[in-house]
Amino acid sequence: MRIVVLLSAGLHPVSGRTVLQRLEAQAIRLGRSLMDDAGDEILGLHAGPDPSRVADAFGYGLDRMICCRIADGDDPVPSLSAALADLAPDLVLAGRRSQGADETGLVPYQVARDLGLPLAADAAGLMRQGFRIVVDQALPKGVRRRSAIGLPALVSVHSAAPPPLPFVFAAMRRGRADERPGIAAPVAPRDLEERPHRPRARIIGQGGGSAAERLKAATETAKAGGDVLVDPSPDEAARAVVDYLRRIGALGPAPR
Amino acid sequence: MTRPRIDPRQAREAHRVISVGRSRFDLAAKPVGVSRRPRRDPRRERAELMVADAGRMRLDRARPSGMAQPLPQREAAAAAPSVRIIENPVFLVLVIADPIENGTLSAVDRQALGAARALAGGEGGVVLCAEALTEVAGRAGADRLITAPAGLSDPETRAVALEELVGLLQPRHVILPETADGGDLARRLAVRLGEPLFAGAEQVSPRGLVRRVRGRQVDQRAMPPRIVTVEPDMVAPHSGIAHEARPLEVDVRWPGAMVTPAERIRPDAASLSLAEADFVAAVGNGISDLEAFRSLVAALGATPGASRMVCDAGLMPRAAQVGASGTVLSADCYLALGIAGAPQHLQGIAGCRHVVAVNTDLHAAMIERAELAIVADAQAVMPAILRLLAEEERQA
Ligand SMILES: Cc1cc2nc3c(=O)[nH]c(=O)nc-3n(C[C@H](O)[C@H](O)[C@H](O)COP(=O)(O)OP(=O)(O)OC[C@H]3O[C@@H](n4cnc5c(N)ncnc54)[C@H](O)[C@@H]3O)c2cc1C
Ligand SMILES: Nc1ncnc2c1ncn2[C@@H]1O[C@H](COP(=O)(O)O)[C@@H](O)[C@H]1O
Repeated sequence: MRIVVLLSAGLHPVSGRTVLQRLEAQAIRLGRSLMDDAGDEILGLHAGPDPSRVADAFGYGLDRMICCRIADGDDPVPSLSAALADLAPDLVLAGRRSQGADETGLVPYQVARDLGLPLAADAAGLMRQGFRIVVDQALPKGVRRRSAIGLPALVSVHSAAPPPLPFVFAAMRRGRADERPGIAAPVAPRDLEERPHRPRARIIGQGGGSAAERLKAATETAKAGGDVLVDPSPDEAARAVVDYLRRIGALGPAPR
Repeated sequence: MTRPRIDPRQAREAHRVISVGRSRFDLAAKPVGVSRRPRRDPRRERAELMVADAGRMRLDRARPSGMAQPLPQREAAAAAPSVRIIENPVFLVLVIADPIENGTLSAVDRQALGAARALAGGEGGVVLCAEALTEVAGRAGADRLITAPAGLSDPETRAVALEELVGLLQPRHVILPETADGGDLARRLAVRLGEPLFAGAEQVSPRGLVRRVRGRQVDQRAMPPRIVTVEPDMVAPHSGIAHEARPLEVDVRWPGAMVTPAERIRPDAASLSLAEADFVAAVGNGISDLEAFRSLVAALGATPGASRMVCDAGLMPRAAQVGASGTVLSADCYLALGIAGAPQHLQGIAGCRHVVAVNTDLHAAMIERAELAIVADAQAVMPAILRLLAEEERQA
């Protein structure tokens, strides 16, 4: 099985230096956990001007890397699709969103469309089942949605996936990216205005309403108007709590 | 408003007690001659000056207090229709709700509808496409309602149906929430239609959308494209007058069966992080028996939390702290044992739908916030719950 991890050069949110995104390091680990055969291989694919930007990936467990040379700011999709068509991998792993470029998270979807691959989003765990792969999709509140898709496929990784492998400095120093020319695809300038970030308040609770109502909601305790049991015996209190939790479904039904 | 002036010397004189030697005054006694002025209730006076249904709080100080009717022009406003009907919308804004979780629209879906309302303005129509016919749709700002069949969990089939829907309605904008399902669907749709996507809008108006990029240090502003996703908890939901939510029949071939059957796996409560947990039981300063608390949490299958007092004392890890400086919960149910309910703590549970409190103090803020409040010693209630659960186990 051949696994390709798409590596974008992310900008560190504080220092602004290029770093490997944590999610992509997690994708490398997920990919490695699927390899059980000596013939299996995992390689990285990056489209950008400088492979050293993603060299950290070697330290996180990557064996080989291919870098398609394109100018800074070019659209990486044509180069990535062409390289993947060439490599014919069984599984392509990608992050959710890049950091520092456009950050739309569209690249994996465009690549999947170009190659005609099925795409599964937000994988927190992967399992191999012959020619299929079982994807545990991470949903809010820790719920996982398990489904199977046929290989070859493209899977994007969620931050709930296992943490990256420990970083090995020597492996990072040893790694050499295999460079090849990419496909130049300048992006048409778009009507975007950029300005320094100004933090905006999150809305807490229901939101909306007048300023006075929002202030009230944030500072005053809303009366729930619920039941109050004053000085019940411990057993009465326990019964009331357990019954209530059962009624709202927080606690499973009584065993019988 | 004029009140009689008071001469302080005369007022004092009225308190004089007849005595020999030095002069004495009994200030507590009610003076005989001088009448006390009636006590005022400033809160009531203020409430009487309040202008009813003014949208925001307004005081009409010109009105003599004691005249509690609203102003006449406000009455005309109150007589306006309670449902806003847009008969022939100039353009449409389509909102795709996430799969319905507990029978109603989620907060994020409401925010997406709020964003759609902002883009639709007065003459555009907002079309909501949701799984179940939800009666709250109108209040959340939807003019039309399309019912999608439930249980379409395969994202690609949803995207195919949605593409057809977009082709039929030709909406000016398609708005989705930037959640696991909504974000995925928006990208599939953008790729299928070959159109750009504005991902994670934090500010929405017809004049432009704003989102954070570049490690969140830069704001990007652009005119709204067709496909937009809305960042959770950043855009206010619609709060004005309810819209019509008229059911709309569309001729879309919703796919029948799912291509890949999906299975939902519930997480193990103990391994969940506090922010992700659905049911949290928390311990406060009123509890000293943490062993009982730990076994209670295990027996209930809850995720453990704590107030800051307990974490500061080192009795629970900092990661368990609930509140403004700890974790803001997304839980549905919260059980508070011996927690007073300081404002900083209550901020952390603002989103919890069901709150149960056990506290010895009837006047604790937590008791007021709770849906089920028990004024009792939590140290005794905890073993009682454990006994009850064990009893049930034994009888089964
Ligand atoms: C900047 C700032 C940020 C803060 N952030 C947070 C935060 O994020 N989270 C947080 O929790 N706090 C926070 N606090 C602290 C907060 O103000 C309160 O001090 C704290 O929440 C109180 O914790 P408590 O309710 O456990 O303790 P207490 O206030 O001591 O209350 C104990 C309660 O237990 C009851 N009780 C006593 N004995 C029993 C018994 N046997 N059975 C049942 N009930 C009993 C008492 O009646 C009382 O109501 C913050 C404070 C500041 C200044
Ligand atoms: N230049 C690139 N080279 C390789 N992979 C990329 C590149 N840009 C984006 N990706 C992949 O696509 C994901 C989403 O990126 P984006 O659509 O730019 O937000 C990233 O996490 C990467 O896995």
